Amino acid sequence: MATRGREEARGTGFWGFFVAPGTLWLLALFIVPFYAVICVAFGREDPIFSVRNPEWNPLRWDTAPMSEVLRRVFNGDFGTVFIRTFAYVGITLALCFLIGYPVAYYAARHAGRRRGLVLMALVLPFWISYLMRMLAWANLLQPDGYVNRILYWLHIIDAPRNWLTGNSTTVIFGLVYGYIPFFILPLYAALERLDGRLLEAARDLGASPRSAFFRITWPLSRQGALGAAVITALPMFGDYYTNGYLSGGSPRTSMVGNQIQYYLTSTNHPETGAALVLVLSVLLVFLMGYYLISTARLQREVVYR
Amino acid sequence: MATRWNRREFLQRSAALAAIGGSAATLLAACGSSSSTGSGAVNELIGTPAKPVTLPIASDNSAIKDGLKPETGTLTVLNYADYVAPDVIKAFEQQFNVSVQITTFDSDSELIEKLRTGALKGDVLMSAAYNSFYKLIAAKILRPLNHSYLPNITNLLPTFQDPFYDRGSRYTVPYTVYGVGLDYRTDKVPAADLDAKGWGIVWDTSYKGYVSVLNDYREALSLALLRKGITDVNTTDAALIAQAGKDLQELTSTNNVKVTIEGYKDVPEGTSYIAEGYSGDMVNGQYNLPQGTDVGVLGFWRPKDGKFLVNNDCMCILRSSSKPALSHAFLNYFLDVENAATNFATNGYQPPLTALSADELIKRELVPTSLSSTVLSGDDIANGLRLLGLPADAEKLWTDAYSKFYSGD
Repeated sequence: MATRGREEARGTGFWGFFVAPGTLWLLALFIVPFYAVICVAFGREDPIFSVRNPEWNPLRWDTAPMSEVLRRVFNGDFGTVFIRTFAYVGITLALCFLIGYPVAYYAARHAGRRRGLVLMALVLPFWISYLMRMLAWANLLQPDGYVNRILYWLHIIDAPRNWLTGNSTTVIFGLVYGYIPFFILPLYAALERLDGRLLEAARDLGASPRSAFFRITWPLSRQGALGAAVITALPMFGDYYTNGYLSGGSPRTSMVGNQIQYYLTSTNHPETGAALVLVLSVLLVFLMGYYLISTARLQREVVYR
Repeated sequence: MATRWNRREFLQRSAALAAIGGSAATLLAACGSSSSTGSGAVNELIGTPAKPVTLPIASDNSAIKDGLKPETGTLTVLNYADYVAPDVIKAFEQQFNVSVQITTFDSDSELIEKLRTGALKGDVLMSAAYNSFYKLIAAKILRPLNHSYLPNITNLLPTFQDPFYDRGSRYTVPYTVYGVGLDYRTDKVPAADLDAKGWGIVWDTSYKGYVSVLNDYREALSLALLRKGITDVNTTDAALIAQAGKDLQELTSTNNVKVTIEGYKDVPEGTSYIAEGYSGDMVNGQYNLPQGTDVGVLGFWRPKDGKFLVNNDCMCILRSSSKPALSHAFLNYFLDVENAATNFATNGYQPPLTALSADELIKRELVPTSLSSTVLSGDDIANGLRLLGLPADAEKLWTDAYSKFYSGD
């Protein structure tokens, strides 16, 4: 460990230079667009075209639309859609964890020679566009589609179900299906770099496989699981096409992303859409903050233990 | 042709891509400067059927002189994606020995913003909405037309010889016209039931889970108004707008309604039985039928009293064009009956020409008999209901009432 520490110290100045262009690029592509969203949210009304123009000068920002959106989120008609979105994301993450953890664990520790194949199977969905995969499912889930036929044949249902209209199960299923590769891959990476000697040591010291898992593997992979959850959850909060493709755009299953899209692309009130983006971002910053704090804590624990 | 995209669908798809690709569109839109000129006089540019408008022509923005030769080179045409037939464009290129470049935009608001800020340039604007192009007049972006270059203007339906939004066709000629009605399955929904219940059939719980409304706040809320017999689709009455929103919410709770612009696909595929839809899309519904299904299962209903929404897009010439004579030739080309019919065969949206009546389009096998009601007559257009620009306060009420419905509150 001591050698690596010295290498890192020597490298910072020189290698740091290489990070600069990437950092600038990220700043330009994050800070500038984000500032643009803020300027749209706090824009001023153009009396001639009756739309709000982005206001670049913070001193002239109009806060009225934002306070209206906040009122609608915390004490109005946006409440339902926010709760629904958080519920969908929460359930999807739980399912991703239940399905994804064993898969990642198997791929990292027990796949052996088949590891390449398993990894390939995990990466394969990325080769096909998300929208294409959703459209494929829309076909399978049609009233006379294969899903209904198989369920009917198995006597699980006695009449074809309407899966594609206002059905939360279908939307959550679509979210799990669409996002689970994003969950498994980082988790796999975390499990894969886990030092096998620690497990050997645990077993040598008399731990059962079960207790070795819960005392070594799980604590060391928790950080990876948390990272995977963050990577999956963030895009999911902005998702609006899953509802469109798998639920006919039904209001029963609409998410915050649908409201953002509606206000930004179909109305003369982009400021409301931009304000919703900001409210959602602030809520997500709390989640992100929790991730960063717990990561830092876990890292400390691992180093000093 | 089964996978053809219409322009609204393109709008949604590209919005999806924009969202996946980050907030580039928002950023672009936001980057436009806010250098608007003019004054409150803009409201006087808005024509209504009750109060038609003659648009002003500024002294420094006159039409071109008579008798100029069409210019050569490349003509840039601004249009929605897939909203014109490529073979008609090719024929125009050959006849005038020029090349045509089509630059696409995704929405009316994007178009106006980009033209206003100079981000988008071209010669011809092929599909401006009749109820918002006045903003382009206010921003002095359009050039008045010289009718001596447009002999085919006489082919237009009488109602478009002197349209209420642009009397004397000073800046625009219509490109397409379409109505909003109900796409339906004739094998699932008895015609008598439809005629008896009218727009109310969308609320009929025997079709629960198989109905949809258009994902557009003006058109969806108008459906709720029309169902109650209210034909003022430009109402500013807060109580009426709120009630229309509640009626749509009722559709969610009792009828599990879908909200989509793809009814013309869902109905042929059998995932919807009744869908609020555009006539111009339903013409193409036959291409979405499963193989072996007779086109007779498709119907397009609109009320016999003619109280349904009618809409049209316009062609105009940009003031900054360096090829105004060629641009006029382009407009005139699309007002020719044969060219318009060829364009319709691909596009599906009806050209408002007298010669291309429903009977004629059926005779030419461009429209199946069962969908003859997708073709609007001059009277349909003249008597139809028009969505007009709303005062900002009322417009906000409409926007938020729909949002409340769409959020599933």
